[in-house]
Amino acid sequence: MDLKRIDDLVAEEYRFLAAERAGWSLVAGPQDLELVAHALRVLLHTRTLTDFRDEYRALVACQHADGGWAPRSDDHESTVWVSAFCALMLIRGNRVLAEPALDGAVRRAIDYFLGSQQADGRWIDPRWADLDTTSHPVSFFDVVLALGERHRRADVERAWQRGLGFILENQSPEGGWHDPDFHPSGVEITAHLIQDALVAELLLGERVPGIRDACRKGLACLRSWQAENGSWDEENVDHTMDCVRSSMVVTRILGDDPATTAAIERGLDWIVEHKNDHGWGDFPGMETNLERTCDGIDALCKYRAFRDPDPKSVVRLWGYVP
Amino acid sequence: MSLDGPTWTAVGRLGDLDERGRALVRVQGTEIALFRVDERVYAIDNRCPHRAGPLIRGFVEPGPAVRCPMHGWRYDLATGVSDRPARATVYPVRVDGDQISVLL
Repeated sequence: MDLKRIDDLVAEEYRFLAAERAGWSLVAGPQDLELVAHALRVLLHTRTLTDFRDEYRALVACQHADGGWAPRSDDHESTVWVSAFCALMLIRGNRVLAEPALDGAVRRAIDYFLGSQQADGRWIDPRWADLDTTSHPVSFFDVVLALGERHRRADVERAWQRGLGFILENQSPEGGWHDPDFHPSGVEITAHLIQDALVAELLLGERVPGIRDACRKGLACLRSWQAENGSWDEENVDHTMDCVRSSMVVTRILGDDPATTAAIERGLDWIVEHKNDHGWGDFPGMETNLERTCDGIDALCKYRAFRDPDPKSVVRLWGYVP
Repeated sequence: MSLDGPTWTAVGRLGDLDERGRALVRVQGTEIALFRVDERVYAIDNRCPHRAGPLIRGFVEPGPAVRCPMHGWRYDLATGVSDRPARATVYPVRVDGDQISVLL
């Protein structure tokens, strides 16, 4: 894919997202926090977050006393999935913003995840599969460890290793992860688990046995599940974006291989081909929604970094290296 | 729904269903997904209550039920009941000859 085209698309879609700010802004009023977190990731990866400090402060303002967040900013019950998204955006955003209030919120979030882990290492959220749910606090802890946050460090390391253990124990022999109650196909869960939870461990000392092999097998599964036309999961835009992003960071950390690079190129071509005039929908031909548009911009930013001569550029966009 | 309460509204014909027995119709601003399973037609709000995934693109399973293609939430097609913390809106369906009507 031509990089000038990628740069133009990022600029164009960013302008669209900024124009639609009322639809995702916490400053404007109560919001779906998963959407907010998606938007904050775009601000981070387009390096525009300093223009939006008030959004980060508003995210801190709706954090609950237990350190978590609810799916909607005006709800009161903390849940794991969205809390991990919010916490991840705060710790990564505060590398740039450097605000003490955000540091405090990150530490409270650490307390929340340490307090909500189950005995077998998983985290649970009734809205999501346990494996998928578990990958997100582990991802947050990946970044906590990578960025050197010291709050309850020993507890974090223990919880992180137990979370990784739960994920490893549930990999299928063919290399994917499946949940019969949520995602029998396993595409989205597998893409999430290898990019968000597992692969960072290879940069954090490779102390947990089996991670490299688990990632290699998971990545091979993703490749085998890709359709001829470059998409995944019956032309699911969300899952195709997940698979392309996952393939980029995992292959870069494992060591680039031509088959994965070709799969990434085919996937990205399909994503660009199925963009609406502004943004993306959940499937080709569907109306644009802001969450998918944020995912699309994020995928383009990560592809741009994947093509950068500095091999760490793309890994930095997961927060796994400073 | 009219001021007098729910009314039967014609939404299409059996011949409008695709080869998998599905059709997406828009009625009074609402997207309704129609599924024909074992000779019975079901009508369910197309947008998954979880993250608004399109149920028309979902996976039909025994029950019969439909599983959202986005994050796998499963809904009974007759009742809208789910194992997850949500319930989908379903509509009574009447088939007269080839004509499909839903009670709105």
